Amino acid sequence: MELKDFEHDMQRCSRCSYCKWIPYENQQNMDFIKGCPSAARYNFHAYAASGKWNMSYSFLQGRIDYSDAFQDAVYRCQMCGSCDVSCKVVQDIEPLEHMQTLRMKFVEDGQILPEHMLFIDNLKKEDNMMLAKKADRGKWAEGIRVKNLNKEKAKVAYRAGCRYAYDDELWPIVRGGLQILLDAGVDVGIWGDDEVCCGGRSYQWGYAGEITKYAEHTMEALKAAGVEILVNPCSDCYQAYKVLYDKIGKKLDVEVLHITEYLHRLIKDGTIQLTKEVPMTVTYHDPCHLGRLAEPWVHWKGKEVKVMGQMICHEPPKKYRRGANGVYDIPREILKSIPGLKLVEMYRIRESAWCCGAGGGVKEAYPEFATWTAAERLKEARSVGARAMATACGWCKRNFMDAMEEGADRIEIYDIIELIQKAM
Amino acid sequence: MALTDIEYMALEDCVGPENITREPAILDTYNQCWGHKAVFDQKFSTRPAAVVLPGSAEECQAVIKMCNRYHIRFKPFSSGFEIISLALENEKSILLDLKRMDRIIEIDVKNMHAVVEPYVNIYRLQREAINYGLTVGSIGAGPSAGVIAGSCCHFGAGTTMVSTGGLGRNVLGVEWILPTGEIFLTGSAETGAGWFSADGPGPSMRGILRGRSGANGGHGIISKVSVKLYPWHGSPDLKFEAAPGLPPSAKCLTQVPEMYKTFVILFQSQDQMFEALSRIGRAELASALMGALMFPYGEGNDEQWLAIQEMREAGMNFTEVASKGVALVIGAETKRGLEYREKCLLKIAEEMGGHPLPLPPSEQARFFSAATWHFGFVTAAFRRTGDFFVSPTGDGSPDMMLNLRKEAERLLQPYMDKGLLQQLGTAEMFLIPSEHSSVGFHEENVSFYDPWDDDSLQALREVAQASEDPNGDFRRFGVPHLGGGLQVEFKSHVHQNWGPIYDHYDVWLRKIRDMLDPNDVGDWSGYIPAIFP
Amino acid sequence: MLNEGLIKIVGGNNVLDSPDILNDYSGDMSFAAPTRPRCLVRPGSAKEVQEIVKWANEENVPLLPISSGPPHFRGDTVPRIGGTVLMDLTRMKKIIRVDQPNRVAMVEPGVSFDELQTELAKEGLSAYMPLCPRKSKSVLTSILEREPITMPAHHWDCTDPFLCGEIIFGTGDVLRSGEAAGPDSTEEKWKIGNYQITPFGLSQFDENKLVSGAQGTIGILTWATMKCRMASSFSKTFLVPSENIGQLFDLTYPLLRSRQCDHCFILNDLNLASLLAKDADEIRSLRESLPAWVLVVSFEGNGELPEDKVAWQESDFREMALRAGQLRPVTSLSGLNTEELSAVLSKPSDEPYWKLRYKGGCGEIFFLTTLDKTSDFIQALSGLASARRYPSTDMGVYIQPVVQGTSCHCEFDLFYDPANPSETGKVKGLLSEGVAHLADMGAFFSRPYGTWAKTVYGRAAVSSAMQKQVKQIFDPNNVLNPGQLCF
Repeated sequence: MELKDFEHDMQRCSRCSYCKWIPYENQQNMDFIKGCPSAARYNFHAYAASGKWNMSYSFLQGRIDYSDAFQDAVYRCQMCGSCDVSCKVVQDIEPLEHMQTLRMKFVEDGQILPEHMLFIDNLKKEDNMMLAKKADRGKWAEGIRVKNLNKEKAKVAYRAGCRYAYDDELWPIVRGGLQILLDAGVDVGIWGDDEVCCGGRSYQWGYAGEITKYAEHTMEALKAAGVEILVNPCSDCYQAYKVLYDKIGKKLDVEVLHITEYLHRLIKDGTIQLTKEVPMTVTYHDPCHLGRLAEPWVHWKGKEVKVMGQMICHEPPKKYRRGANGVYDIPREILKSIPGLKLVEMYRIRESAWCCGAGGGVKEAYPEFATWTAAERLKEARSVGARAMATACGWCKRNFMDAMEEGADRIEIYDIIELIQKAM
Repeated sequence: MALTDIEYMALEDCVGPENITREPAILDTYNQCWGHKAVFDQKFSTRPAAVVLPGSAEECQAVIKMCNRYHIRFKPFSSGFEIISLALENEKSILLDLKRMDRIIEIDVKNMHAVVEPYVNIYRLQREAINYGLTVGSIGAGPSAGVIAGSCCHFGAGTTMVSTGGLGRNVLGVEWILPTGEIFLTGSAETGAGWFSADGPGPSMRGILRGRSGANGGHGIISKVSVKLYPWHGSPDLKFEAAPGLPPSAKCLTQVPEMYKTFVILFQSQDQMFEALSRIGRAELASALMGALMFPYGEGNDEQWLAIQEMREAGMNFTEVASKGVALVIGAETKRGLEYREKCLLKIAEEMGGHPLPLPPSEQARFFSAATWHFGFVTAAFRRTGDFFVSPTGDGSPDMMLNLRKEAERLLQPYMDKGLLQQLGTAEMFLIPSEHSSVGFHEENVSFYDPWDDDSLQALREVAQASEDPNGDFRRFGVPHLGGGLQVEFKSHVHQNWGPIYDHYDVWLRKIRDMLDPNDVGDWSGYIPAIFP
Repeated sequence: MLNEGLIKIVGGNNVLDSPDILNDYSGDMSFAAPTRPRCLVRPGSAKEVQEIVKWANEENVPLLPISSGPPHFRGDTVPRIGGTVLMDLTRMKKIIRVDQPNRVAMVEPGVSFDELQTELAKEGLSAYMPLCPRKSKSVLTSILEREPITMPAHHWDCTDPFLCGEIIFGTGDVLRSGEAAGPDSTEEKWKIGNYQITPFGLSQFDENKLVSGAQGTIGILTWATMKCRMASSFSKTFLVPSENIGQLFDLTYPLLRSRQCDHCFILNDLNLASLLAKDADEIRSLRESLPAWVLVVSFEGNGELPEDKVAWQESDFREMALRAGQLRPVTSLSGLNTEELSAVLSKPSDEPYWKLRYKGGCGEIFFLTTLDKTSDFIQALSGLASARRYPSTDMGVYIQPVVQGTSCHCEFDLFYDPANPSETGKVKGLLSEGVAHLADMGAFFSRPYGTWAKTVYGRAAVSSAMQKQVKQIFDPNNVLNPGQLCF
């Protein structure tokens, strides 16, 4: 889509400012009602989704041109989708899609953050978003006896993703996930060094070309390996494969699952038994890319029509993605099935979850903002009396850890994989 | 006319460089709001010369003093969600975004008042207060509206007026930074006695703060307000969840809270309905009350349209319910109180030819949320057609409001029949017996239009012009409510046109303004100018 | 002739300047310094009032409007400046309109509560009244001066029950407030249902608020509409006795929060006895058997289901009383029964005015505060009284929650024998010292009468400056009651 395609939505933003908060219906504790990290952290309205609408409209009308201020407001944003959820409680417009298109316009016109450029250059050369070497990508799996999908076929493909592949502090998680599958007798393989980025993060940043390239590569690789199910321990990758690829017309021909979805099946059918007590009060952080952003893509083509005089509808009816159909229950069911573990919820959960802070290119370009965002979440976790916080995304865990290193409230952070391992 | 560097630096020194901007990209996020297309013929109102974010009364004061020194006009706002809250009369003007001033200073539970700063919204105060068995009145703009904005600065009416009053009646004290930069604490706050009375010593200076309408940011900054709180009878634990039969995105109350009940009562005629509301008022039954426009829930417009069609096929004429139906909430401290109120209500309903509609618990809860917190109002106002406009409005006896209603329907119906405004079968109306009808009824007639559809926009402009025409059919129903578009409006200069036929109130208002703002630095676009242009 | 201009306006019979009259009006029962007026003028219509005000501007003569008959207590009817013309509005005595369904009455300044109650009763209505006002008290003055009513649940805002009015400002200009303004005459407005019942003010300022509590310094009202209530077919009044006023707060607070009562106020033994007994001996005798403090609460049987209403409210109330420390509401106490009290509360005071029955004289101190702080003020003033050897047992206390319980009117009635110089001196000193001391403690004197004004405005510098500017707008020549308040 082009920016102009959003003009009607731009016009209809009423400045209600719902984009800054979680939906009023979801507000529980008044200390934790903010939804948008950008609007919470930065002063001006420009940093809220409504502000992006305004700037885009102004840009289209020729009232403003590219500027540092414009770019700053566009990119100091995790693209977490909280604004999208809240806006759509009261409106039929697409803030997140608009912001995505706006970023693509920035990139198209060369308005690029130098910090991002560094990562994109490396991505193009080394197929990862970690400023690392392709040749090192498979090191996380050293010592694990598992099928190599470059040479063998397997029913299930297990993809580490860039963060897990290169962040050695997180290797116990990604290795743990794979080991659980192997121990459960799952016919699973990995690509090792030949695994490539999903392209999801670069897409978030506005780089439209890379994701197409990786989508085509992945489709071929999956086919060649005879894979039926693609399992991801990383929520970012999961969302890219499940939603973004479908969006760009490259829907994968395999079942795309997050690791929690697959493990949930194995728990339910008794293949995995959780028998050991894990006496802990734990809260769960919904990763954006597993939750509200993971709602399946809806393709729609049609037009606006009016009914009852002036009520704006669509022909055919348009289904808006409002974030409530992400993966929320499965991780919780897993946690609740762990003996001795007590789950307490935070105040901002499910589609109203506060972002960990790592997405949208913020961790790369504005690390202080990323850790500030994480610190706010850690505060919330502590406030509900949890000893630990569970999550289901490597980027989330990394960002929480980094925030604690910088002095944020401390709490134990576990990936769900780690807690499952403790209970086995 | 931008600010000079000297002027900008002077303002920057007041608040710090991170709290001021003159970047065009950011400035244009401060001049786009609903209603603008109708008033300015484009989404943009005047671009401010700068946007400033003061963090305290002292910073506000410093900024205003600079405005006086350099003759820069200013206008404060909190959420900025009102049709003219961002509109500026000229370019050498700054907007004061009060986002940083967001504290709830105190909630005095025993003496039932709360003191808050500008960026505290009504819903936040309501949810804090219910922990203590209290609540605050809500206004039609919905949960995001500022407490100060609703009580001191704008029109400020809503469905809870039946039990909480509105239109400025709940103000127990203000900290007011005048356009001169002086700080004025009213009443008991000034003497250090506490925040319980804004009135005195002697005459009450609330008289220059606002009337039926507020000054819309035109006479300084209200940096604190003390507002009355009202009883909340239910538990503070409110559960919002996905309701059965509704999509998972639709989080809502699924049950009306304990100690409350919700009714939708359909009468056979509007006359009977008005009479019944008078009796309901006199009996002091309701805690919240609204017209029962029973749009079915729809996740989006398409879903809602589908549901509307299904309702029609099932024989439910919801627009009839809208014109002759009332949704109301009753509550009480005890079960016997609730029983009494229910018994009384049903008696009145029966005697006045009304019957309660059977509603499933989830629908009752939906009406409860709408009536108590104005959930759904923003959706109704903006999602359906893109924009809305409120006029004519009135406050007065039920007889007068019924007459106003009939005139309003005469005005709006032809446009709705032609499809130029949303067809509801009847004009959507806000009708509330204020303070248990002891001070009459409050009425708002609402049009829903598409500002980006030339015909719909033209229709709306004709409606606005007709209802604001001092020589027109509405001239006897009171000065236009001035919640929006005053000096910057469809027909120019409401005060100039209506003053002479309303006891020359404009003369006094102008003098008050001149007194408060001798250097003419308050933006008057929602207030009154020093001289009519 | 000195007053020729006035005689032309109102006729010779209505301009009174005999020495006796001038002496009568030169002072009142307060300690305000006596000052003789120039004359007493008695307009009979709004037009005459307006003409007098214009004349006053032309002649630079101060005016002081009066609507109530004597006795006056507060110094508000005593001229501050020699040569003041007293404008006696008592000739304007019409009850212009009573509207039963909308519960509103429209009155001229000279209407008393007695007269109004009689008319209202015919329509099944009753006035919201202050506590047993004197017979000669003007209804309009009472509501304009923000006298507290005894039913706080119905007192939504400080100006209640005042709704709309016709105001003649110090310039001589007329403004009808709120929905009373407009292109039609008042009578024409009635035809479209405009009964002048909304108190929100006109447009973006609230003229009602500006003339309220102003003691006639901003404008003179020639009529006002006021809220009334439905008359009660019956009522249940309770007394809740306690030796400990704090315990009564524990009941009063939840009662106010619930908005479920009608009359609600606290009296000490002396004030309760003074209300009910006929003379000093009876008062002394009655108070001996009364508890130190009594909370008076009523539930009025009116409306749709009066018996049900009262039954529910009474039951809730009794539960509240139990929760508040096992308090026991009673309907009779020391030979009093509450039906008798209810009757007393529904009309103005019998003669002599109840505040004069005990000793013949009464000095008042009243202010706004919050209920929880009243005991501190009681203790403080008792201490000051003691220091001056004024027996605190001669001090009546009246605590009236206002604005639905968000604050309260706290009143001390210092009874004394005006013929006794020692007592008079003590009270005079106590009034002065008391006001200053209580103000320092946080008492908010929202209605500063007479000599209090200096003390009060000394603590409200910005308000004072603001009010002076407002005065400049509405009375630039300062003809209305100059010297009063901060003007």
